[in-house]
Amino acid sequence: MKRVILFLGGLTLTLVLLGVLVASSSPDGLEAVAESLGFSDRAVEGEPYSPFADYEFRLIDSSWPAQVTAGLLGVALMYGFGIVFGRLVRRGRGG
Amino acid sequence: MHIPDGFLSVPVWAALDLAAIPSVGYFVRRTQRSFEDSRIPLLGVLGSFVFAAQMINFPVVAGTSGHLIGGALLAFTLGPSAATVVMTAILLVQALVFQDGGLLALGANVINMAVVGVWVGYVPMKLLGGRGPNLRGFAAFLGGWLSLMAAALLAAVELSLSDMAPSGPLFASMLGIHAVTGVAEGLITAVTLTAIQRLNRSFVLPSEAA
Repeated sequence: MKRVILFLGGLTLTLVLLGVLVASSSPDGLEAVAESLGFSDRAVEGEPYSPFADYEFRLIDSSWPAQVTAGLLGVALMYGFGIVFGRLVRRGRGG
Repeated sequence: MHIPDGFLSVPVWAALDLAAIPSVGYFVRRTQRSFEDSRIPLLGVLGSFVFAAQMINFPVVAGTSGHLIGGALLAFTLGPSAATVVMTAILLVQALVFQDGGLLALGANVINMAVVGVWVGYVPMKLLGGRGPNLRGFAAFLGGWLSLMAAALLAAVELSLSDMAPSGPLFASMLGIHAVTGVAEGLITAVTLTAIQRLNRSFVLPSEAA
């Protein structure tokens, strides 16, 4: 179990640190379909209210650190969720 | 394929928000009943991994891109009930913090990717997983591909009900493009699970003995 956790943890950090350098910014499948069928302008984008909108921390100008900061925040939030949910699972069975 | 706000009509997103709440609640309780204690540390580890993987878009065909969704991957490592809950948390964080996927459309995205995508993706391993390592690899690939196709099909149904575009071209293009992206989803799922299985033989669910 420990080896699997180390493997997945290492993979996660590699994805955040290096993946953002090579990620494609082309439209994804749904965006491409919306463009070709002419309904992409129906998306309500609105003003970015979050400082992390589109996976970039707005307070940093340079793109790699801005994306890595956003990525690490997301990773930390999901890890935190896992801890909270794990407690809920244990408590749910009265253990 | 995170649906943004504005793509779905009010009855469609409202119905799916209403459907998503009790569905996820049901899978939370199911996880509480049946989740193995030894796998509890993985909830955060796999949630983080799938979140990070979803950030990285790779080129697909004709100027489009895709990224791993990871529904089948989560189902094969956490079991499908916990996978639904973790995927829901990922979609929630993406919508609230990163403004990826609409807030009103969150229920639709949860039903497509966290509920149907996860459970459809789980089926091949459930059926073929006990029949040797080669079939397990194939089941992982097929699970990844099917989970993406199921989510794309549902998204097309929802967009069609919302009168965004004529159904014929909508279904053809959504399923066509995701049939290709799904190959990458399947390959990433199979390669990751095979690597994990080398580290720990009993890790991938349902385990071989079952």
